[in-house]
Amino acid sequence: MKFAYYPGCSAQSTCKELNVSTRLVADRLGLELVELESAACTGSREVRAANRDLFLALNARIMAQAEELGLPLMTICNTCTLNFFDAKKMLADDPEACARVNEMLGETGLAYKGNVEVSHFLWVLLEEIGAERLRELVVRPLRGLKVGAFYGCHMVRPPAHFGFVESRNVRSIETLNEILGCDSVDYSGRVECCGFHTAAGNEKIAVKLTGRHVRSARDGGAQALVTPCPLCHTVLDTFQAEMERDLEARLDMPILHLPQLVGLALGLSPRDLGMDNHMVAVDLPVGAPVV
Amino acid sequence: MKTMAEEVVIVGGGGAGTYAALRLKELGYDPLVVCKGLIGKSGCSIFAGNLVLSGHMLGTTDAQSEATMEYFTKWWNNFLIDQDYLVKGGSWIEETFYPELDEAGLYFRRDDQGDIVASVGSVRNIAANQQGQSGMLLMDRRRKQFAEKNIRSLEETSVTALLTGSGGEVIGVVALHYPTGERYAITAKAVVLATGHSDRLSTRSTGTREQSADGIALAARAYAEMCNLEIQWWHASDFAYPKTWDRMHVYPNPLVGSTESARMYNADGELFFEQKTDAPVGLAPYATQFKRVGEQVAKGKARLDGGYTTSYAHIPPEVVKEYNYHAKAFEKVGLDVGSDHVESAVSWHCRQGGVHCDPHTMETSVAGLYVAGGIGGHSNGGIGVVSFDGNIVAETIAAKDVSAWAQPELPADQAEAEDGRLAGLLRPVPEGGVTPMRIKNKLRQLMWDKMGFEKTEPGMSEALEVVRSLRQQAEAGMGLKNTTPNFNYGWVDAIDAFNMIDVCELTILSALNRKESRGPFYRTDYPYTDNENWHARNILIPTPDGGVEFRVEPYATPYLEPEFERRDYFDVPW
Amino acid sequence: MVSGANQITEGGIDARRLGQEESGDSSPARLASLGEGDTVRVRLQRFDPTRDEAPYTESYEVPYSKLMRVLDVLNYIAEDLEEDLAYRWYCGVKKCGACAVRVNGREVLSCWEAAEPDMVIEPLRHAPVIRDTVVDRAPHEERIKRMSPWLERAEPYPGFPERLSHRDMGGVVHALNCLSCMCCTSACPVLDLGADTDFAGPAPLVQFAQQALDPRDAMDRGRIALDEGSVFDCVSCYRCEEACPVGIPVVSAIIEPLKAMAYRSMPARAGHVGAFLDVIEGRGRIDPSALVLKTQGWGVLLRSPGRTLRLLVRGKIDPLKTFFGDAAKGIAEVRRLFDGTRDWKP
Ligand SMILES: Cc1cc2nc3c(=O)[nH]c(=O)nc-3n(C[C@H](O)[C@H](O)[C@H](O)COP(=O)(O)OP(=O)(O)OC[C@H]3O[C@@H](n4cnc5c(N)ncnc54)[C@H](O)[C@@H]3O)c2cc1C
Ligand code: SF4
Ligand code: SF4
Ligand code: FES
Repeated sequence: MKFAYYPGCSAQSTCKELNVSTRLVADRLGLELVELESAACTGSREVRAANRDLFLALNARIMAQAEELGLPLMTICNTCTLNFFDAKKMLADDPEACARVNEMLGETGLAYKGNVEVSHFLWVLLEEIGAERLRELVVRPLRGLKVGAFYGCHMVRPPAHFGFVESRNVRSIETLNEILGCDSVDYSGRVECCGFHTAAGNEKIAVKLTGRHVRSARDGGAQALVTPCPLCHTVLDTFQAEMERDLEARLDMPILHLPQLVGLALGLSPRDLGMDNHMVAVDLPVGAPVV
Repeated sequence: MKTMAEEVVIVGGGGAGTYAALRLKELGYDPLVVCKGLIGKSGCSIFAGNLVLSGHMLGTTDAQSEATMEYFTKWWNNFLIDQDYLVKGGSWIEETFYPELDEAGLYFRRDDQGDIVASVGSVRNIAANQQGQSGMLLMDRRRKQFAEKNIRSLEETSVTALLTGSGGEVIGVVALHYPTGERYAITAKAVVLATGHSDRLSTRSTGTREQSADGIALAARAYAEMCNLEIQWWHASDFAYPKTWDRMHVYPNPLVGSTESARMYNADGELFFEQKTDAPVGLAPYATQFKRVGEQVAKGKARLDGGYTTSYAHIPPEVVKEYNYHAKAFEKVGLDVGSDHVESAVSWHCRQGGVHCDPHTMETSVAGLYVAGGIGGHSNGGIGVVSFDGNIVAETIAAKDVSAWAQPELPADQAEAEDGRLAGLLRPVPEGGVTPMRIKNKLRQLMWDKMGFEKTEPGMSEALEVVRSLRQQAEAGMGLKNTTPNFNYGWVDAIDAFNMIDVCELTILSALNRKESRGPFYRTDYPYTDNENWHARNILIPTPDGGVEFRVEPYATPYLEPEFERRDYFDVPW
Repeated sequence: MVSGANQITEGGIDARRLGQEESGDSSPARLASLGEGDTVRVRLQRFDPTRDEAPYTESYEVPYSKLMRVLDVLNYIAEDLEEDLAYRWYCGVKKCGACAVRVNGREVLSCWEAAEPDMVIEPLRHAPVIRDTVVDRAPHEERIKRMSPWLERAEPYPGFPERLSHRDMGGVVHALNCLSCMCCTSACPVLDLGADTDFAGPAPLVQFAQQALDPRDAMDRGRIALDEGSVFDCVSCYRCEEACPVGIPVVSAIIEPLKAMAYRSMPARAGHVGAFLDVIEGRGRIDPSALVLKTQGWGVLLRSPGRTLRLLVRGKIDPLKTFFGDAAKGIAEVRRLFDGTRDWKP
């Protein structure tokens, strides 16, 4: 199985361990990732709001690169995923904008056709690898480990893309947890917002919004949170000290990137998976791989 | 009790009341609007889905313009209308109503080329964004114009009584702000009733929650004359289910953006009504439609509460979805608007009659008391027409220069008596007593059973007896489960119940006095339309002894004559 | 514990929608969850702040009626069971927006939404409770008023009908669908923060957008979106879109255009947006350290030196790369996209 791989900005700066662990896990699973090396940012939230055409152009360029390779596009970030989804829809609905964008892309020999498939790594695991194969590959079942899913927003909402009447009914990470052998903890934050997108200007909102959810996870017995999004990870991990100060309580909640959790079950070492790079120490009671 | 002294108090925040207020403000007044619901969110103005074109607007031809006049006179009002008023209203709507709203930013649906999208046919209508959405958007604009122009209002405040002076003239109101229980006694030099005409007096009805014919009851207690109270319009193609959607209309009118209109089928699946072919001039052919449903009921192929269907299935679904706000309702209950029929039922709709007034001034038979909109007994409303009323009443009041008048003295005894009455209604249910909701339900069921399509003399007389016994019951033993003054809607129900009792009684009496059948009004004992005797106002005069008297006043016909003197009811197409 | 649905079967699963089927998360499933003869069980939050110390719950059983809506259930409790329930509604058919409540934690218009077999019914959040499910709308209305919700034209009105096309109206048409029901405001997590934000919340912003996005309007709406709306406090969580009973794309069709207007009108007050654009134009990719430094200034490093140090040690920030690193591959092409779209207007 082969994918055009778009790691996005975070996984190449603040969350390098996400890129590292994705590659390691992909390797174990036999996923071939062809990185789009000259891909730029999808624009996070800011470009979408500031300049719609620029947003479309940035995303169309990346999707066109994948189309050129003739490969589906794999993401590892919620916001990037939603940006692609939105751009795809907007370009389909607005042929004039699409033509404008293609004129610019044409100058560098690219063309956006709109037939690219976009999928997040989480969905790739469940759809392409599949439960059965994953179960076979689990060499260190994470038995007894209590994990809370922190989905974030942009791969469960808006309903127009993901189809949920109520996003809280999503179960993809819990499904994966079950395959990996660990228990899923219910708590207030499963599909809540981390507040990342106001954090550059005003980190207070992110700290306040998220702290209470981390506490709820802790109260619910979670030993770690796992997230499919590096932006959520950034808030949950690097701002956790601020949350503790704000709540006047210890949280000590390790935050795992999704491929890190998968990697553990596949027998990879925490160090190789980049867990040493987190702000909150990750020290989980997982045993040695059993072969 | 709080007291206030005002120049003009407007009772009701629908299309009529809000326009009256805006116009008065423009004319230099500072009116106070008292609204039982939220302004722009209560009253049937939010339901006005279609906006009828008048005069020569947007390329309307001479023939279409004439058809519009015919439609309003014949099909919409069954000739019970002052035709001069209609002509003036038509010009006002063309010259003032549409331009004023367009300027205020109301969005009349355009196409991509920039033309306003109108329905096709002899009479045309347009929509604010979507058919079914017009009134909502229009009233939302009004709400914001109130903010812009600083028009004062008391919302969720029900006027419960009129205050009168020594000569019987109206000099103010008493009102209850039910979210807090605060009472107001407000003196005024002019009181405008604009409480609408779609009241929930029957089990299935189109009015908004708070509409219980208060205005009629208040005016009757001040001995104002009533006109044509018995002419009650029905919707004939509303959703049969769910219950709360009894006013969800499957428009039988020409659809905006299409050449088609909805079709109605009986229990055997036979087509029995389509506006396009059955009443092409009848734009909103509700009386005709009601008659046709009545015929199906007689044949056992429909019930008034269901058993027949309406459908847009012959119209491309994209068109219905694009231009019709109610298309989503189909989806919401799992129906496909492009192929499914929806089970339909009839709903008690707008009262054509109301408080008798001079439609050229909006004065009633009582000094100081004015009407505007559906409450008036002069026409079957429509959002444009009721706004015109708002304009007339504002100009009448301004022309009288009420600013120069002395402020009336507060009749303290009346205010105290009303305050005492209201306080008295906030009492626990006495031994063997009932809640006001019980009374309301019984009244609605009674009107549904006895004052529906087919009215019989014995049925109406019996209904009168029942109303009178309900009054006794209410007076003797009505009370509430909870006596908090804080958003106690039971308290409002108690006030409503007495208003409804009064109005149901007057309506039945008025119906007994009209000895013919016309439009939506059908009596089995007089099964013909009688233009010779009853192309006339049926005027009811409440008397101080608690009784009523009647006067019958023929209408002038400066433009359009009814085409016959007397004809079998079912042979009359309108 | 949440059960990890063991529903992956061979061949073609849609991972995006895992959980949907088992939880009956769709309109048809909700419609099918009740039928003739069933009983609807309601646990209703009751509270009279003038009399009760705290909210409490009362239970009711209501017989199902055909296609029953939540409002039919409330009406049954008030009208047939004759309970002294405080609840608000006017139109009964999704036109007034007055009837919104929360059912099992989700905001719904009670006249529009199908009843469910078991319902916990509560008032909306982020508005003071008057009694039971009735909330005080005044603060919401006040906020709308502060944002001048009327048209201000640059040119005098040209007369009826004004030249305007459906196309010109663009996103305004979405905003026009708004019933001002406050479902979205109830769902918005930023409003949980109370005094820590002056965010208007989505409902007033959608009302405001009816004018702000209108091509006929000439007021400086960007400034108002900032001064009266604090629009950049929106975290883009899409809770509002999920809650909106009329399906308004609140974030993409309303809030983002408002953010664009705010940024254009007062770029200095939307520093992070400008910084973001600069960083991408300069390097192709975003480096969070560069973004924070550009937005908040150098002082930020010194404000919590301990944290800065920890970030350095864990490799979360990399000053060498931030200041001396190369731009991403393909930067020239990216800059061309910037050049090609500079004239875009909201
Ligand atoms: C379902 C339906 C569909 C319709 N469709 C159309 C259409 O397509 N096109 C069209 O032109 N017309 C239509 N109409 C008719 C039109 O809506 C009405 O004629 C018009 O809106 C009446 O306006 P109004 O201001 O007189 O009354 P309303 O809009 O009913 O306003 C009455 C106001 O009075 C207030 N009130 C009542 N009692 C009291 C009290 N005691 N104290 C204080 N305030 C009180 C109410 O709260 C409300 O605010 C429709 C009506 C209905 C019911
Ligand atoms: S997207 Fe913004 S406005 Fe909508 S709920 Fe989230 S924070 Fe509130
Ligand atoms: S945007 Fe939707 S949810 Fe929010 S107030 Fe408007 S209609 Fe209600
Ligand atoms: S009652 Fe009006 S929207 Fe529900």
